[in-house]
Amino acid sequence: MDNDKLRNRVRRLRFENGEMTQQDLADLVGVTRQTILAIEAGNYSPSLTLAFKIAKAFKVPLEHVFQYE
Amino acid sequence: MVITFSLGLFLGITLVVMRHFDVGVPNIAFIFPVFLAGSGGIISITCFKKDKGAVTSDERDKMIEKNANLAGFGAVYFYIILMSLLPIAILGEKASIPVTWCPSLLIGAGFCQVFAQSIAILIQYGWGGKDGQR
Repeated sequence: MDNDKLRNRVRRLRFENGEMTQQDLADLVGVTRQTILAIEAGNYSPSLTLAFKIAKAFKVPLEHVFQYE
Repeated sequence: MVITFSLGLFLGITLVVMRHFDVGVPNIAFIFPVFLAGSGGIISITCFKKDKGAVTSDERDKMIEKNANLAGFGAVYFYIILMSLLPIAILGEKASIPVTWCPSLLIGAGFCQVFAQSIAILIQYGWGGKDGQR
Protein backbone atom coordinates (compact mmCIF):
# COMPACT_ATOMS: atom_id res chain seq x y z
CA MET A 1 0.00 0.00 0.00
CA ASP A 2 1.91 2.99 -1.29
CA ASN A 3 0.27 6.12 0.10
CA ASP A 4 3.25 8.39 -0.36
CA LYS A 5 2.23 9.64 -3.77
CA LEU A 6 -1.55 9.54 -3.57
CA ARG A 7 -2.95 12.82 -2.36
CA ASN A 8 -6.61 13.59 -1.82
CA ARG A 9 -8.81 16.60 -1.22
CA VAL A 10 -11.62 14.77 0.53
CA ARG A 11 -11.47 16.86 3.69
CA ARG A 12 -11.49 20.15 1.79
CA LEU A 13 -14.30 18.97 -0.49
CA ARG A 14 -16.39 17.95 2.50
CA PHE A 15 -16.19 21.44 3.92
CA GLU A 16 -16.86 22.99 0.52
CA ASN A 17 -19.99 20.86 0.26
CA GLY A 18 -21.95 22.33 3.13
CA GLU A 19 -19.56 21.18 5.86
CA MET A 20 -20.47 17.59 5.24
CA THR A 21 -19.46 15.30 8.11
CA GLN A 22 -17.38 12.18 7.65
CA GLN A 23 -20.42 10.12 8.60
CA ASP A 24 -22.52 11.85 5.93
CA LEU A 25 -19.96 11.08 3.26
CA ALA A 26 -19.55 7.54 4.56
CA ASP A 27 -23.30 6.98 4.31
CA LEU A 28 -23.36 8.44 0.80
CA VAL A 29 -20.65 6.12 -0.52
CA GLY A 30 -21.52 3.10 1.62
CA VAL A 31 -18.48 2.73 3.83
CA THR A 32 -17.71 3.25 7.51
CA ARG A 33 -16.67 6.60 8.93
CA GLN A 34 -13.31 5.09 9.87
CA THR A 35 -12.59 4.38 6.22
CA ILE A 36 -13.26 7.99 5.23
CA LEU A 37 -11.00 9.06 8.07
CA ALA A 38 -8.25 6.69 6.95
CA ILE A 39 -8.53 7.98 3.38
CA GLU A 40 -8.34 11.61 4.50
CA ALA A 41 -5.31 10.84 6.66
CA GLY A 42 -3.65 9.10 3.71
CA ASN A 43 -3.51 5.80 5.60
CA TYR A 44 -5.68 3.95 3.12
CA SER A 45 -5.87 4.02 -0.66
CA PRO A 46 -9.47 3.36 -1.71
CA SER A 47 -10.45 1.00 -4.47
CA LEU A 48 -11.23 2.49 -7.87
CA THR A 49 -14.94 1.91 -7.28
CA LEU A 50 -14.89 3.74 -3.96
CA ALA A 51 -12.81 6.55 -5.41
CA PHE A 52 -15.40 7.04 -8.16
CA LYS A 53 -18.21 6.94 -5.60
CA ILE A 54 -16.52 9.65 -3.53
CA ALA A 55 -15.98 11.82 -6.62
CA LYS A 56 -19.61 11.28 -7.59
CA ALA A 57 -20.75 12.26 -4.10
CA PHE A 58 -18.94 15.59 -4.50
CA LYS A 59 -20.08 15.90 -8.14
CA VAL A 60 -16.52 16.44 -9.35
CA PRO A 61 -14.19 14.46 -11.61
CA LEU A 62 -12.07 11.76 -10.00
CA GLU A 63 -8.81 13.62 -10.56
CA HIS A 64 -10.22 16.56 -8.65
CA VAL A 65 -10.43 14.38 -5.53
CA PHE A 66 -7.39 12.16 -5.90
CA GLN A 67 -4.07 13.17 -7.34
CA TYR A 68 -1.16 10.89 -8.04
CA GLU A 69 2.09 12.79 -7.60
CA MET B 1 -19.86 -12.70 16.99
CA VAL B 2 -17.28 -14.49 14.85
CA ILE B 3 -14.71 -14.08 17.63
CA THR B 4 -17.18 -15.37 20.21
CA PHE B 5 -18.07 -18.45 18.18
CA SER B 6 -14.43 -19.09 17.30
CA LEU B 7 -13.43 -18.83 20.94
CA GLY B 8 -16.24 -21.16 22.00
CA LEU B 9 -15.37 -23.67 19.29
CA PHE B 10 -11.67 -23.51 20.07
CA LEU B 11 -12.20 -23.95 23.81
CA GLY B 12 -14.65 -26.79 23.10
CA ILE B 13 -12.05 -28.61 21.00
CA THR B 14 -9.45 -27.97 23.71
CA LEU B 15 -11.82 -29.45 26.30
CA VAL B 16 -12.40 -32.58 24.22
CA VAL B 17 -8.67 -33.04 23.65
CA MET B 18 -7.86 -32.44 27.33
CA ARG B 19 -10.53 -34.89 28.44
CA HIS B 20 -9.35 -37.47 25.96
CA PHE B 21 -5.81 -37.35 27.31
CA ASP B 22 -6.99 -36.89 30.91
CA VAL B 23 -4.41 -34.27 31.85
CA GLY B 24 -6.00 -33.67 35.26
CA VAL B 25 -7.28 -30.15 34.68
CA PRO B 26 -10.77 -29.69 36.19
CA ASN B 27 -13.54 -29.54 33.59
CA ILE B 28 -14.89 -26.30 35.03
CA ALA B 29 -11.72 -24.55 33.87
CA PHE B 30 -12.86 -25.16 30.29
CA ILE B 31 -16.63 -25.26 30.65
CA PHE B 32 -16.75 -21.82 32.26
CA PRO B 33 -15.02 -19.98 29.37
CA VAL B 34 -17.24 -21.84 26.88
CA PHE B 35 -20.30 -20.84 28.91
CA LEU B 36 -18.99 -17.26 29.13
CA ALA B 37 -18.33 -17.09 25.37
CA GLY B 38 -21.76 -18.55 24.58
CA SER B 39 -23.53 -16.18 26.98
CA GLY B 40 -21.61 -13.25 25.54
CA GLY B 41 -22.70 -14.21 22.04
CA ILE B 42 -26.37 -14.50 23.00
CA ILE B 43 -26.29 -11.22 24.96
CA SER B 44 -24.58 -9.38 22.10
CA ILE B 45 -27.14 -10.69 19.60
CA THR B 46 -30.15 -9.76 21.74
CA CYS B 47 -28.98 -6.52 23.41
CA PHE B 48 -26.73 -4.90 20.84
CA LYS B 49 -28.77 -5.19 17.67
CA LYS B 50 -27.33 -2.84 15.12
CA ASP B 51 -29.26 -0.76 12.65
CA LYS B 52 -29.65 -2.94 9.55
CA GLY B 53 -29.19 0.04 7.26
CA ALA B 54 -25.91 1.11 8.82
CA VAL B 55 -22.67 0.07 7.18
CA THR B 56 -20.71 -2.02 9.64
CA SER B 57 -17.90 -3.25 7.41
CA ASP B 58 -16.52 -2.24 4.06
CA GLU B 59 -13.64 -2.89 1.67
CA ARG B 60 -11.03 -1.67 4.18
CA ASP B 61 -12.31 -4.04 6.85
CA LYS B 62 -12.23 -6.89 4.34
CA MET B 63 -8.65 -5.99 3.41
CA ILE B 64 -7.63 -5.90 7.08
CA GLU B 65 -9.33 -9.24 7.69
CA LYS B 66 -7.61 -10.75 4.66
CA ASN B 67 -4.19 -9.49 5.77
CA ALA B 68 -4.84 -10.70 9.32
CA ASN B 69 -5.75 -14.17 8.04
CA LEU B 70 -2.58 -14.19 6.02
CA ALA B 71 -0.56 -13.15 9.07
CA GLY B 72 -2.23 -15.90 11.11
CA PHE B 73 -1.47 -18.49 8.45
CA GLY B 74 2.14 -17.32 8.21
CA ALA B 75 2.55 -17.45 11.97
CA VAL B 76 1.14 -20.99 12.14
CA TYR B 77 3.35 -22.10 9.26
CA PHE B 78 6.41 -20.71 11.04
CA TYR B 79 5.26 -22.23 14.36
CA ILE B 80 4.79 -25.71 12.84
CA ILE B 81 8.25 -25.60 11.24
CA LEU B 82 9.80 -24.42 14.50
CA MET B 83 7.98 -26.96 16.67
CA SER B 84 8.81 -29.78 14.27
CA LEU B 85 12.51 -29.00 14.24
CA LEU B 86 13.01 -27.95 17.87
CA PRO B 87 12.78 -31.46 19.39
CA ILE B 88 15.51 -32.66 17.02
CA ALA B 89 17.65 -29.62 17.76
CA ILE B 90 17.22 -29.90 21.54
CA LEU B 91 16.90 -33.65 22.17
CA GLY B 92 18.85 -35.00 19.24
CA GLU B 93 17.99 -37.44 16.46
CA LYS B 94 17.95 -40.58 18.62
CA ALA B 95 15.54 -39.21 21.25
CA SER B 96 11.82 -39.92 21.45
CA ILE B 97 8.93 -37.61 22.31
CA PRO B 98 5.52 -38.50 23.77
CA VAL B 99 2.62 -38.84 21.34
CA THR B 100 0.76 -36.07 23.21
CA TRP B 101 3.20 -33.73 21.46
CA CYS B 102 0.98 -33.78 18.38
CA PRO B 103 -2.30 -32.53 19.95
CA SER B 104 -0.28 -30.06 22.01
CA LEU B 105 1.20 -28.82 18.76
CA LEU B 106 -2.29 -28.45 17.35
CA ILE B 107 -3.54 -26.47 20.35
CA GLY B 108 -0.43 -24.31 20.25
CA ALA B 109 -0.99 -23.67 16.55
CA GLY B 110 -4.53 -22.54 17.33
CA PHE B 111 -3.32 -20.08 19.95
CA CYS B 112 -0.56 -18.91 17.64
CA GLN B 113 -3.05 -18.29 14.82
CA VAL B 114 -5.48 -16.35 17.03
CA PHE B 115 -2.65 -14.33 18.58
CA ALA B 116 -1.03 -13.41 15.25
CA GLN B 117 -4.41 -12.58 13.71
CA SER B 118 -5.35 -10.34 16.65
CA ILE B 119 -2.01 -8.52 16.59
CA ALA B 120 -2.30 -8.01 12.83
CA ILE B 121 -5.81 -6.57 13.21
CA LEU B 122 -4.70 -4.26 16.02
CA ILE B 123 -1.69 -3.02 14.07
CA GLN B 124 -3.71 -2.34 10.92
CA TYR B 125 -6.52 -0.52 12.69
CA GLY B 126 -3.92 1.25 14.83
CA TRP B 127 -2.46 2.93 11.76
CA GLY B 128 -5.29 5.40 11.94
CA GLY B 129 -4.20 6.57 15.39
CA LYS B 130 -6.57 6.85 18.34
CA ASP B 131 -10.02 6.07 16.89
CA GLY B 132 -8.52 7.14 13.61
CA GLN B 133 -7.95 10.68 14.87
CA ARG B 134 -4.61 12.24 14.15
